[in-house]
Amino acid sequence: MNSPMIYALLGITLFSVGLYGLIVREHLLRKILALNIMGSGIFLMLVALGKRSAGELPDPVPHAMVITGIVVAVSATALALTLMLKLVEASGSAVLHDAPKDRS
Amino acid sequence: MGDLLTDAHWGVLLILLPLFGGLCSFLWPSAVKFIGLATVSAVALSVVGLGDQLLATGVYHHAVGGWGAPLGIDLYADGLSLFMLMVTALVGLGVSIYALDYFDQDEARRFWPLWLLLLGGLNALFLSADIFNLYVTLEIVGLAGVGLASLSGGGAALDGAMRYLMATLLGSLCYLLGVALLYHSAGTVDIPLLAERLESTPPVWAALGLICAGLALKTALFPLHFWLPKAHASASAPVSALLSALVVKASFYIFLRLWLEIFSVRTEGVDDLLGALGMAAIIWGSLQALQQTRLKLMIAYSTVSQVGYLFLVFPLAAIGTFSAWSAVAYLVLSHALAKSAMFLVAGNLMHFGGHDRIADLDRAVQRLPITVGAFALAGVSIMGLPPSGGFIGKWLLLNEALNQGRWDLVFVMMIGGVLAAAYIFKVLGFAFTQAPVTHEPKGVPAVMEWSALLLAVAAIVVGFLASPLMLILGIGETVELMGAGQ
Amino acid sequence: MEALDFALGLFDILLVFLVLSLAWLVMSSEDLFRAIVLFVAFGLLMALVWVRLEAPDIALAEAAIGAGLTGALMMAALDRLSSVKPIQKVAASAQRKQLSLSSKVLPLIALVLIVLGLGYALLSLPEIADGLTPNVKENMAQSGVKNPVTAVLLNFRGYDTLLEMVVLLLALLSVWSLGGERKLSPRSTNPILGSLCRVLVPVLILVSCYLLWVGADAPGGAFQAGSVLGAAGVLLLLSGWHVEQKYLLWPLRFILILGSGVFIIMAAVLLLIQGGLLTYPVAQAGWMILLLESAATLSIGATLAALFLGGVPKSRVDQ
Repeated sequence: MNSPMIYALLGITLFSVGLYGLIVREHLLRKILALNIMGSGIFLMLVALGKRSAGELPDPVPHAMVITGIVVAVSATALALTLMLKLVEASGSAVLHDAPKDRS
Repeated sequence: MGDLLTDAHWGVLLILLPLFGGLCSFLWPSAVKFIGLATVSAVALSVVGLGDQLLATGVYHHAVGGWGAPLGIDLYADGLSLFMLMVTALVGLGVSIYALDYFDQDEARRFWPLWLLLLGGLNALFLSADIFNLYVTLEIVGLAGVGLASLSGGGAALDGAMRYLMATLLGSLCYLLGVALLYHSAGTVDIPLLAERLESTPPVWAALGLICAGLALKTALFPLHFWLPKAHASASAPVSALLSALVVKASFYIFLRLWLEIFSVRTEGVDDLLGALGMAAIIWGSLQALQQTRLKLMIAYSTVSQVGYLFLVFPLAAIGTFSAWSAVAYLVLSHALAKSAMFLVAGNLMHFGGHDRIADLDRAVQRLPITVGAFALAGVSIMGLPPSGGFIGKWLLLNEALNQGRWDLVFVMMIGGVLAAAYIFKVLGFAFTQAPVTHEPKGVPAVMEWSALLLAVAAIVVGFLASPLMLILGIGETVELMGAGQ
Repeated sequence: MEALDFALGLFDILLVFLVLSLAWLVMSSEDLFRAIVLFVAFGLLMALVWVRLEAPDIALAEAAIGAGLTGALMMAALDRLSSVKPIQKVAASAQRKQLSLSSKVLPLIALVLIVLGLGYALLSLPEIADGLTPNVKENMAQSGVKNPVTAVLLNFRGYDTLLEMVVLLLALLSVWSLGGERKLSPRSTNPILGSLCRVLVPVLILVSCYLLWVGADAPGGAFQAGSVLGAAGVLLLLSGWHVEQKYLLWPLRFILILGSGVFIIMAAVLLLIQGGLLTYPVAQAGWMILLLESAATLSIGATLAALFLGGVPKSRVDQ
């Protein structure tokens, strides 16, 4: 196994660890961290597999996609954090409760 | 002049106009309503222009930057894209007119830039032939949707928006991982090239699973619908209308597009799974809708069940017939019109009585006849009664299920129709009866009443336009591909 | 040569192990502050990974945005969180203990299955694939720049970047729509921060200009330059930078939309002249891209700093 493949496998492992955290951890800040780790994992896989080319240089297209992705991720993170703060102000809790209030 | 009109880049205009309008409305907050309405109208005209162009010349194809796939990004419009753009323009126009009177000046300043950018994102999405570009448009649509959902403030809206944000980000990430796998399997992100190059390999299967899961989450397919009722019910009325009518359909459109062009050949069992989830969604969503005591939650659960109908197409179309696909396009159109009308009606009733408790509608029919009339008309389409758009869509789907002997689907669709009738008549019943507690009602601006009625009437009228709409759907390669299976 | 390969292989394995354990610790540590610090460390190590993968452009972006700005955003949010609701942490950790075994074990099994499934999918990809490298190489001469990543971002797939500028703006619009007004904080009493600022901010601005300029030929470009500029903005905000109210209305909004605005206008003009969306004339591509990037850098910097502030900025001197 060559080193790009090792990093690609690290990428999907990070994706899964983030997914695990997103599901298991309840605090919204932790969920936001989890989404960021998932994103990093995808970016890593995308770029690492681009190093399989026979030529000298790695494939630049995934690099550009990842830079796009990093900017999208920081935008979404900033929005999520502000939303979290507002939610805590309004409801006093940084955890989404699943109590079925729908029928009240 | 005629040449100029057919040669114009309507497709590109459809993307640039609303984005530019969004920026302008941010820069000049005092003129948001004017800028907003002008932009939405211009977009509607451009859709007409694009339609005219497509009818004359077939598909629209534009290589951005002049590079062309696989290096560059291609824009592409066929009948299905045009259909979605049309739905967006129609609903967008209705909701925009409604929003003129609904929001006060401060809310309007926040609503219009977000809505115009959302419109730009939606149009870009329907015109894209590139799965990575689709990811970026999905993020525009998602973030704008979250911003709009939280617009009304308050704990419930923020809670709903947060759930929506988590769901939409997770959905995007799953989709993106699928895109990454497809890129490394085929060396391109262009849909037609992917269709040529992809083979049935483990990475392609993994990508199919991830993309389907991510888009199903964004489309709120049962059991991934958990975020939708709160997000759609707690947003302000025009926003709920946009989210339920358009945003959910955007991810469904990508689902449909990728299914038709890329994944259709490689699907055994997945189509039946989607069908089963669709059936579960119809039953579960309708039962939940029936139990709700708040009008907006009821309408939101109704969306969960109506999304179920859309997924019934996958097991039916496995055998590959045009009528199954046109049925689903019809359902998208009529649900978008009817559901946006319903949410606007809910907004009127809330404005009128200050609440949306179904049991306390208190003879709304006498005091807001236009609004209640709009609800009844939209209800006809949601139930699938003739003559309405919903009827045509469901009838086509039912016919197809009967032809293929899928009695399970037929049965579930029948039950779904009965349940829909039950929850809609429940609302209408309370609108006719006097509530035990009477309260001081507030007048509803005429614009808000008439725009809701307009959308509801449109949901009925499309029931009479089957042949021209089928003509539109028939433009382009997708249909040839679909027709080839007949 | 073999010894070097061996050492690099060892380094790879160590790095993979470190990154993975940091990610796990970010998810599992009880203390949120600790989790954020670990996340910043994770971001820095990721930058190292990008260098190993010969992706210096991403390494720069990751160091500036992934580790730097995202970390700063998280820290600021945690700070505000504790001032809003100090009891929350106790409540959250108390709830955590109630989690039953099955609700922890089942996701863990799912995690392992996903890793195995995706890992199998990855390993069955072909050993060698060129992707779009040959297409990029072939068209580099017409792109107007020499850095392939910049060529993809601003030319070959420039339309993605246009839409991405809209995503960034949308995030800010949504934050402003939520956040109400936020007064610029009073001048910091911390003299170290103040003098650090006086030295660092001009340096950061210079670095930003350099990254922008060099992006055409070497690693760098609008996003890296913009995020460095954003970092300078964050520093200024922390040290109590005073801006008069009149600059916070129209001029600020103008800078915020400059990037996407210039992009859209450029797209429309090129559509009229060249008959294609973002189709640059080959001879003019170089300066057009530099113009787009300069506008984008300003907007990205301003937007990131504004996102850090988290609300519509308002001068602390009430007018």
